Amino acid sequence: MQRCDLIVIGAGPAGLSAAVEAARQGMRVTVYDENARPGGQLFKQIHKFFGSREHKAKIRGIRIGEELLQEASAAGVQVELDAVVTGIFADKEVTVRQGERMLRRKADTLIIATGASENMTSFENWTLPGVIGAGAAQTMMNLHGVRPGEKILMLGSGNVGLVVGFQLLQAGCQVVAVADALPGIGGYGVHAAKLARCGVPFYTAHTIVRAEGVERVTGAVIGAIDQNWHIVPDSEKHFDVDTICLAVGLSPMSRLCGLAGCVMEDNPQKAGLVPVVDALGETSVPGIFAAGDVSGIEEASSAMIEGRIAGLAAAHRMGFMASSALDARLAELTGALASLRAGMFAPGSKGKVFTHTAEGCALSASLLRRGFVADEEIDRYPGVTRARGVHPVLECTQNIPCNPCADACPRQCITVGADGGTITALPVFDAARGCTGCGLCVAACSGQAIFLVDEEAGEITLPYEFLPLPQKGEQGMALGRDGQPVCPAEVVAVRTSAAFDKTNLLTIRVPAEYAGRARFYRKER
Amino acid sequence: MRINEHPVLGGYPKGEAVAFTFDGARLSGYAGEPVAMALKAAGVFIHRYTRKNHSPRGIFCAIGRCTDCVMIVNGRPNVRTCITPLAADMDVRTQYGMGAKHAAL
Ligand code: FES
Repeated sequence: MQRCDLIVIGAGPAGLSAAVEAARQGMRVTVYDENARPGGQLFKQIHKFFGSREHKAKIRGIRIGEELLQEASAAGVQVELDAVVTGIFADKEVTVRQGERMLRRKADTLIIATGASENMTSFENWTLPGVIGAGAAQTMMNLHGVRPGEKILMLGSGNVGLVVGFQLLQAGCQVVAVADALPGIGGYGVHAAKLARCGVPFYTAHTIVRAEGVERVTGAVIGAIDQNWHIVPDSEKHFDVDTICLAVGLSPMSRLCGLAGCVMEDNPQKAGLVPVVDALGETSVPGIFAAGDVSGIEEASSAMIEGRIAGLAAAHRMGFMASSALDARLAELTGALASLRAGMFAPGSKGKVFTHTAEGCALSASLLRRGFVADEEIDRYPGVTRARGVHPVLECTQNIPCNPCADACPRQCITVGADGGTITALPVFDAARGCTGCGLCVAACSGQAIFLVDEEAGEITLPYEFLPLPQKGEQGMALGRDGQPVCPAEVVAVRTSAAFDKTNLLTIRVPAEYAGRARFYRKER
Repeated sequence: MRINEHPVLGGYPKGEAVAFTFDGARLSGYAGEPVAMALKAAGVFIHRYTRKNHSPRGIFCAIGRCTDCVMIVNGRPNVRTCITPLAADMDVRTQYGMGAKHAAL
């Protein structure tokens, strides 16, 4: 039987990160993945990541995936694809089905990084062709260049629903609405705001009643729900759609951990049945580790750090790494993980109801229900200021772990969590440092929540990631945060740059009195 | 249904253009892309009908997990088309229950 020092199951962000760290310490590492391509979901994630520089913030998932694959090959990691691990037996022996063959493999340590699977929900006609998972939509449009549909209803307003909804717009689809059974939008407000300003309506406290169609989806009906989860009579709304996209949560794919004999727990904070692990990711079975979504649903950024920790711990366990060296790396990595696990959306905040930010600003009720901060609410946030000349308006209204804006500004105009504060603080602009209007913060903001505004000139620079790119001199319509027309607008500049990484900066001019409201642009008047 | 140019991704790496058949009709796609993608781009949505209720199924997960997209490919039933790469002259057929149309009747 073939042996190696470490077998990693799953070549997603956690598994690859684990493999890279362990191989760098000298371990012989083999990674098995059931898919034809490595990288897990990273190659479908075309948006810029949150976090700070150490978490690869403002870098798109696809590029992080490429980087990880390069690191893995440089470190000598062996990646076996189309290889399904079907069983884990005593003494860390695994069986692998690769094509028509069944292989038996053995290692001294195992890291299980099998990720998550999508939850589904059933309703009348839910099996019709045209009802798809959000992951399927991402696979079709971002990997294969095929639009999942033309007119789409998104079910679920967690980050997956919001991010995929925006990607659908980028792929040229029409998103007719985002519906969520919960009374409030589940994902980051900034993700919702991107959709809202493009005119996508949100229906919170609404659920799907049925899909319409005989051979395929031709429509969808949603209805409002009351506190007892009953459909409110006469509240049904019909949409003409060809596709219904389900983004109703993820569950850890932890079956292999159970097979391996790890002690499991059903933990709602981790979104399901997960192995019990210690701070290094080690399960109750010595030498078997779990990392990433399999041990609790989080973002890919946290999965990569958990993977690195587990890889190092495995190396240390087998004597490839001294305790002092491990401790030094752990200090850095656990710090990075802790900073990602802070704020209103942290795993530990699940179930808590926030009414104010940590700074004491009341949260936007409109953002939670309709996906955009109302005009009369926006001034209460510290990043939203008026100044002479061009300056950034930071429409960041929730405590999420993210600070690329502060990092991007060459003149240090923007601060996130001054004096060693956390990266979940709301950003603040210091006019005294003199904004040059370079736009790096606009392009760096993963939530596309920064605008350069010159109130007197009536000029607004906004992030724009759609095609066709508007042309300088073009006349169109400025849209508000709610996606509704505000006033006519002229495109006065279009900036693209390698440093912006595909986030184009569009500058529009509007009558000065609308400078505080115009936040998007559409060509048709 | 094809995205010609994407604002972030630009173009998509594609294999050679190839012809294949769907229920006898000639369609085209790109070698190496999943059969299901070539079908979708050609406007085909129904991959199979269930055995008992004869209800239609199409792509659902697109990653080989749900088996909704299985079809008869080169005479072999139950092939998950969302993870099967397209090749020139493939013979792809709608699956009825567990096999070809006559088998279900
Ligand atoms: S669509 Fe689920 S297996 Fe192909």
